[in-house]
This record gives sequence, structure tokens and C-alpha cells, in this order.
Amino acid sequence: MRAEAVRAGPAAAIERRPASRTSTLYLFALPATLLFVVFIAYPILWVAGQSFYVRSGSGTSSFAGLANYVTVLGDPTFWIVVRNMLLWGVITIPVQMLIGGVLAYFIERHTHALRGFFRTMFFLPVVTSVSVISLVWVQIYAPYYGIAQEYLKHVGFVMMTSPIGDPKMAIYALVIVNIWQWTGFSMLMYIAGIANLPSEVLDAARVDGARGWRLAMHVIVPMLAPATKSLLLLGVIGTLQTFPIVHLMTGGGPNRASEVFGTFIFKQSFVLGDTGSGAALSVIVLVVALVLSLLQIVTLGARLTPAGKERA
Amino acid sequence: MRKMLFLATTILTAVLAAGSAWADEKEVTVWSWFIQSTMDKSIAAFEKAHPDIKVKYTYYNYSPEYITALKAAAASGSLPDVIGLQPGSLTQQYRDNLEAVNERAEKEWGADWARKIFPVNRKQMQMGNPAGDKNYYIVPQESQVLCIWYNRKIFEKLNIAAPKTYDELKAAAKALTDGGYIPMFQGAADGWQNENVFLMLANQFSPGIVDKAQAGETPWTAPELVEAMKAWKGLFDDGIFQQGALGAHAYPTGAQLFAQGKVGMMALGSWWMQESKFPPPLSEYVQNMDGFDFFYMPPVKQGNPASPPVGGIDIGYGLTKNGGKNPAAWTFLAELTNGAGLQEALNDLNDLPAFDGHSPKGDITDHVKEMSTRFMTDLPKAENQRFASPAVAEALDNALAGVAAGSTEPEAALATVQAATEKALAAQ
Repeated sequence: MRAEAVRAGPAAAIERRPASRTSTLYLFALPATLLFVVFIAYPILWVAGQSFYVRSGSGTSSFAGLANYVTVLGDPTFWIVVRNMLLWGVITIPVQMLIGGVLAYFIERHTHALRGFFRTMFFLPVVTSVSVISLVWVQIYAPYYGIAQEYLKHVGFVMMTSPIGDPKMAIYALVIVNIWQWTGFSMLMYIAGIANLPSEVLDAARVDGARGWRLAMHVIVPMLAPATKSLLLLGVIGTLQTFPIVHLMTGGGPNRASEVFGTFIFKQSFVLGDTGSGAALSVIVLVVALVLSLLQIVTLGARLTPAGKERA
Repeated sequence: MRKMLFLATTILTAVLAAGSAWADEKEVTVWSWFIQSTMDKSIAAFEKAHPDIKVKYTYYNYSPEYITALKAAAASGSLPDVIGLQPGSLTQQYRDNLEAVNERAEKEWGADWARKIFPVNRKQMQMGNPAGDKNYYIVPQESQVLCIWYNRKIFEKLNIAAPKTYDELKAAAKALTDGGYIPMFQGAADGWQNENVFLMLANQFSPGIVDKAQAGETPWTAPELVEAMKAWKGLFDDGIFQQGALGAHAYPTGAQLFAQGKVGMMALGSWWMQESKFPPPLSEYVQNMDGFDFFYMPPVKQGNPASPPVGGIDIGYGLTKNGGKNPAAWTFLAELTNGAGLQEALNDLNDLPAFDGHSPKGDITDHVKEMSTRFMTDLPKAENQRFASPAVAEALDNALAGVAAGSTEPEAALATVQAATEKALAAQ
């Protein structure tokens, strides 16, 4: 009997559960399902529905099919946004991972008494208000009277323009701010990963002669793959959700040069009152996020927990 | 037993009395981006005059908080009774959620009530209404006149006079820069400040031309507007604006630097006077506005006059459909825009009145009174500063930034504004 149950596996075990117990299990799932339906599924469906309607000057809405999508895709700003988002993701995600990883490695392996201090200091920008960060960085970038200029003048360098006021530089200037703000998060993820590394593997590697760079690159980095995958996934989603820094520092300008999906959707929906194209843009972002996330899970796997803690 | 009965009766009476008092007290809900401290004074004055009405005010930052809150509340039918509005696009976005105030205003202030409002405000009140819709959905509270403020103490120190020609303006900017000051601070990362300066310039070339262009009566590519756009670029190239202006914000950066005496000039408006009423410590320049005075943009081209006053409604309020069901809401709106509430705002020098016949009272110096009088003299002849369509304003913001950055030529930039205007007019 026992052998049969083992062979039949968990599916068979579920089949044999009494109906009352199954209903109880569904009941436990009900609150989460309700929250999901009310706060996630319904708003998504509502926005998707809105993307098929246009609002006329007299205030009435009418069904427009895919017209909003055609309008959005034909808008040159959309392609500026796509370019900016690509730049944002391609630069910020690996740079944050690299700096965060290096910081985590040195803090965890080469600091002792000041470990908590360094962890806190590098994590501080993550928990600082974006409004404060934006104000400070606008001052840092300001030419002549700015904070950076105060230091640069000692080496004879004069900033003639603000990088956030230059259409060619604005997006890179914002990317730097984003990296500064979020590197602490990457660091924390890697610290968690390093803390969970099985010490017997590291000891074995040391016994085999792995030290320093070799130990880091050939043992620690591969074992931190789950943290890296998590950061990649979160990085892509975070890139698509970018809004406050850009809104507060450049408003997507000058002349739309630093526009991102968040600011573009905000302008269309709330400033211009064109909720139809704003909704169409939101649906496009949702689909892009979904496709990229699925791609990552399919190609890199879904093992996102630290190696040491993964359940068998 | 008797004691118990007495106690129960007393409690019951007290509860019923409290309930009845609570039922008698009416409540008005108000949302706006209007400065909290001044609104509190307006509400206090109102509640003193109307003790049976309680006003609940919610302050929001304008963007993104206020405009997203309005959108969400409008979609769910939960707008408050009274909402802060700007004329034109913001009012039009919520027109379906607003009550036309014509009848109430006529009853409150008489048949000629609209004539008591300054002409530029009156025009802006119906801006963007569908053809034939003569209703008013916004009641203006305050007006503004745009101008160039300058720090007269710094000017005096550097021996500069308020400029009357473009050459004098350039010379003043150079003297300020050489003296270690920011010449004219432009927060060119903010579309609104760029629009304001462009309106000063365009109305100098041809008064009212921007109004004609947004109504489709004149193309945006008209020579006067192209000239104005070139003059706009000149303000950057000629060192009038500070270097890196395109990455700078007027608030809080520019305003703080200006108040601290690190900036020579700044294109703002009559609302700048309110700085002197902010809580201390105030700089020697802001104290009683001692350090400041204003002028209008000097002629940027030979033969032009100085810029005429440009302005209109600073802030107005709308009565929502929800507010239409609450008689106390209109009572408050009327007092706020043309009564005790407005007087408190004026005493705080928040801005100029939208209705004629009001002036600030209280602790105000002769210098402030003199400047306020000059603004009030100019307000009746002010050109319109507002846009009916947000898409046109947005296109102009982008055009101005593109030209300033040197990435677009004036003609091409204005062609994009023309395209946006045609699209907006077609949608109407």
C-alpha cells in the first residue's frame, strides 16, 4: 500500500483528498485570488479595454479598434522612448550588477568591524526619496554654480552646460543617477548570495589552490548565478517602470530626448488627456515586460533563489 | 433606580444633541495645489463667517500628484466638491465633471458678474469650450502678470539701470556675469517658464498673435513668430540666460538662488511678491520685497515696443457635479474667489485678484503697494498667456527646447506646433 502511494506520487494523493479538505484549500487561496483579481487583473483588463477607445473633443468615447496602437507606433517619440529604454537597460543592469557584485565581494570578504557601516552606506541611496535624489543631482550637474563644478574648478575644469540640458547627453546623465541609486540593491542581493554560499565548497576550492581572482571568477561568480538572474529580471522590469527620476529631473526633455515609457504614458494620459493612447502604451509595455520575463525564464531558467537555500 | 434613569436620560439627550449638531454642520471638500498656509487662512475666514460649514482641504503637489488624483477620482465619480483648476486644458479635461456656474454666479453677484472679472481672465474662462458653449466651468480666484524681476540692490551695486533696450539687457547680463552673478536665471527644463518668455517675445512682435495661432487664424510659421523664436534662441546665445539653462528648474533651484541674491534677473510674474510673506528667516532681498522690482522684456528688435503685459488666471476653482448637490460648496467657492477667502489670499500677496475691486490689506510696505498697483494697472490690458489645447502647449514646449538646444531650426520647430494645432482643432 505504501509502495503504491509512493509510485502514484503527489497527484494521486491529491485525488484521494476528501472534497471538504479540497474546498478548505481553495478557501485559503481565496483572499490572494481576490486581491489579485481586484487590484491587478481588473485594472489590467480595464486599461486594455480603454486602449480600444478614443475620446472626442466633446468628451464622448467611441470604439476605435487598433487606432490608438497605430497612432502610438507611428509617433516618432515612441521610437525615441524605445531607444532610451534599450540604452537604459543595456547600461544600467550590467553596470549595477558589476559594481554591486564587486562591492559585495569586498565588503563580505575584506571588511570585518566596518561591514555593517559599509553595507548601510552603500544601501542608503536605495531608501532615499527620489525627490531628494533628483534635487541633489540637478544641483550636482548644474554648470558654474553646481556641486560638481565646485570640485572640478580645482582641476581647472569648467562645466559649460548641464548634461541634463543637452539632448545628446540627457539620457546618459539620468542613467548615471539611476546606477548611483540602485547599485546598493544589487550589492545587497549579492551579499545575500555570498552569505549563503556553502562553506565546504569554498574550503574545497581553497584546498585545490583557488585564491583571489580565480576563486572569485571560477567559484563564487558561478555560484551566485541565481542572484544574477534575479537582478537581471528585476532590472528589466525596473527599466520599463522608470518614471520618477526622469519626471523630476528632465520631464522627458529637452525636446523629448530623455523620454521613457513612464513619462510618455504619464504625458499622454494625464497631461494631454489622451487616455486611449496612454492605455495602448501601457499595454505595449506590459506585453514587452511579459515577453522579456518569459524569455529570461526560458533561456536562463527559473532558479532564482540563492544556491545554498534552494529546496530539493 | 431614579439615579440610573436620570443618568440614562442625560446621556441620551447629550447624544441626540451632539447628533443633531453634527447633522447641522455641513462639510465642503476641496482639492487643490494652492499653498496650504494661505488656504488655511482663507478657510478660517470663511468658517468664521459661516460657522455651520466646515471646509476640508487637501493639498497636492501639482504634478504628478494633483493631476493623477483628479483623473482617478473623476473615473470613480469621487471628486470633491470644489477643485482647483487652471483655465483651458485642465478645465476642459474635467468639463463633464463640472457644473456650469453661470446661474449661481448671477444669483450671487448680479447679472453683470462676468464684467467684474478682468477681460483676459474672462476670455480664459471659456477657453476650449465647444463651439456655442457659453457656460463658465471655472471661477477665477487670482490673476497674474508676467514680467522680468530684477534684484535692484545688485543692479545698484553694479551701477546698472533696469534695461530699456536689448543692448542694455545684454550689457546688464554681461555686467552681472562679470560680477559673479547669474545673469537671468531661466529654468528651461520647465516648459511653463519657456512658454512665458516666448509669450513675452511673440506679443512684442505682434500683440495677440499666439492667440490667433492657437485658434488657427494665423499659422505658427508666420514671420513674427519665427522672429520671436529666433529672439528666444538669442537669449541663450547672447548670454542673457545662464549657461546650462536647459537643465535647470525655476523652482526650487532658481527661486532659491534669486531670493538669496545670487541671480540678477528672472522671468516670473506677480506671484513673486508672496515670497516676502513666507515664514522667516527671509533674505534681505525678500524682506518686504526690498531687493526686487520688475520690468517688461525690452524690445528685442529695432522698432519693436517692449513686451506688453501678458497674463491671466493664476488659479481658479470649479464646482464638481458632486459639489453641485452640496449648497455649501458654492457658498465656499464664492467666498474663496470673490469674498473673505480671496481677501486673505491677497493679504498674503499670493497674487493679484481675478475680480476687480480688491486689493491687499494689512502689513504691506509702500514699495510692495506701488508694485502691486503697477501690476493692477497693467492687468486689464494683459495679453492671454494660456493655451486651450494641452497638445499645442506641449508641442510649443518641445519646439522651444529643441531650438534652445540647437537641435531644431525655428521654422521647423514652429511647423511641428502648427501640425499639433491643426490636429487639436480638427479633434474639436
